[in-house]
Amino acid sequence: MQKYLSQQNFTTLLDKLITEGKRVVAPRLNSGTVLYEPLQSAAETVTDQLPRRSGKEAFFPLCEDIMSYRKEGQQVLLNDIDPARFPETVLVGVRPCDAAAVPVLDAVFSWDYKDEFFLERRRKTTIVGLACTTADDACFCTAVGLAPDNPKGADLFLTPLEGGGYACETYSEKGEQLIQAHRQLFDEPRNSTALPLAQPQTETVDLKKVKAWLDEHFEDPAWDSIATRCVGCGACAFVCPVCHCFDIVDEGTEKSGKRRKNWDACGFWKFTHHASGHNPRDQQPKRYRNRIMHKFKYYDDKFGQILCTGCGRCIRLCPVGIDIASIVEEISKK
Amino acid sequence: MTHAIDTSIYSAVTDAIRGEAQRILSEGQVSAVVGYAAARRKGSAQPIVINQADDAAKLIFTPACVNNLAVYLTKAKKEIPKTGKIGIVVKGCDLKALVGLMGESQLKRENLYLIGIPCAGVLASTIQPDKELTHDSIASKCRECDVHLPTGCDFLPSQQPGTPELEKRYAAEIARLETMTPAERWKYWKEQFSKCIKCYACRQVCPFCFCEQCLCDRNKPQMVETTPRPAGNFAWHVVRAMHLAGRCAGCAECERVCPMDIPLNLLNRKMAKELKELFEHEAGLEVNEKGPLASFSEKDDQSFIK
Repeated sequence: MQKYLSQQNFTTLLDKLITEGKRVVAPRLNSGTVLYEPLQSAAETVTDQLPRRSGKEAFFPLCEDIMSYRKEGQQVLLNDIDPARFPETVLVGVRPCDAAAVPVLDAVFSWDYKDEFFLERRRKTTIVGLACTTADDACFCTAVGLAPDNPKGADLFLTPLEGGGYACETYSEKGEQLIQAHRQLFDEPRNSTALPLAQPQTETVDLKKVKAWLDEHFEDPAWDSIATRCVGCGACAFVCPVCHCFDIVDEGTEKSGKRRKNWDACGFWKFTHHASGHNPRDQQPKRYRNRIMHKFKYYDDKFGQILCTGCGRCIRLCPVGIDIASIVEEISKK
Repeated sequence: MTHAIDTSIYSAVTDAIRGEAQRILSEGQVSAVVGYAAARRKGSAQPIVINQADDAAKLIFTPACVNNLAVYLTKAKKEIPKTGKIGIVVKGCDLKALVGLMGESQLKRENLYLIGIPCAGVLASTIQPDKELTHDSIASKCRECDVHLPTGCDFLPSQQPGTPELEKRYAAEIARLETMTPAERWKYWKEQFSKCIKCYACRQVCPFCFCEQCLCDRNKPQMVETTPRPAGNFAWHVVRAMHLAGRCAGCAECERVCPMDIPLNLLNRKMAKELKELFEHEAGLEVNEKGPLASFSEKDDQSFIK
């Protein structure tokens, strides 16, 4: 289904959704930093910047309670969190690199164990994608097979038009339902031309070649030259739209407390530290190798897709300038 | 009006450090040199460790050479060889960290070959690396720099950096926070720390966070909640600020790398201000084995004992 949505009606739509009691998550300013966060009002939406963190947290929060406990006398009372209580959500203004990440994550969260925390939020969320009209030299979606107007993962996709407003196209039943429920706000498609799309400047990378090299080079001196500089923080994984490792911790007192699920990162020394004291990834290049292997080999081996959407966040935010786009490009030329 | 800052000396500085690195590596004076090299993005730079004299040509110095490379010499970075002498490219602010590390017996002067940088300043973290250095794009720490020319290096290019007078933003921001009521200040930091995602980039780039196991990574017993929630976030940043008091010399790497834009160096500058007022101590100026918080003197103010 194709429609036109004026800028005015875009705002009205978000405010209506909020009034209906939906959780509307969109890019907004939080003390100077743009993040995907629940809106109080449509006016908060910031559509001209890629949010600092990705959209994954709408489904896989930075930190969430998964259980609580309380001791009463000799009894320990356990309380599960009920995913059925998660709110209906509309995730709006999602960049193609963030929207495309969601089906990539579906694979791992519904594989052997069905992660109901992720899946229930996924079922209850409608994703409204937004095409990119600007890119910087860290953006590399085109190098990994995506594009500034690729609707992968979106239920409804918006393309900004010359003179304002958006061309809307639906890609799922959820997208159609969203339009149907608010059809008075959507007009018939117009002939306006789309605003010029962003043009990421990185070359296309031959991912098959990258995979072929990774298949054979678990041990290689290249890992040292790539990652000796890595300082072992979690910035790259935490801002990544598809990194999905988490840690489970119990926090509280003897009387009461909570079991919580937090983002984790393979760059951390502690990530593979065994209780025995042994650490199979005892040096930073081995940890960084895992990051590349997981993204461009292991995930591909297991699920037939790569674990990178080219958003460029890890490049912009790496404290020591590690550039995954140039690493992958270099590997493809080996 | 944006005033450009003169960085024309940086290309001569680049030539000079290349020549010196080439010389000390080929003569076998050092086993490795830690410096900066150009990276893919236009104008960008990244740390590099070179072992071969031929690789000296990769070294550069530009306004995008923001890192404090001292972190690569700490025991937190096991990948860099710790035997023999190592060459390192240092700006004045980075040298303060090395001086502190020597005082804490983490490094020995005789194991270092210091290649100093005459530095007019580097770019703020929010600026694209190919942008010109101006009164607006310069890093906040450079606005209050008093070490444009590092002293006591083994080699220092002869160029003289321009040192424009710039408005001191940390001082102004600390003054602003000091006039707040405790409740207002609490609100300010609560909002800032609410953004923390516990990626520990601040810790990992800090030359003084060299503990083999950080207190905040311990789980038996757990000292600080590891979850990125208000209690644990507050505890983490306050523990770190206290642990750095009297040691942090203001390289501001923690603040530069924070992906959530938390103004972490404000905490460290405030602590430095307190240490200066209470003990007339300034970190990083001389090799000092006993910092004010690691020693006792009968002259210390004891009025707090009631």
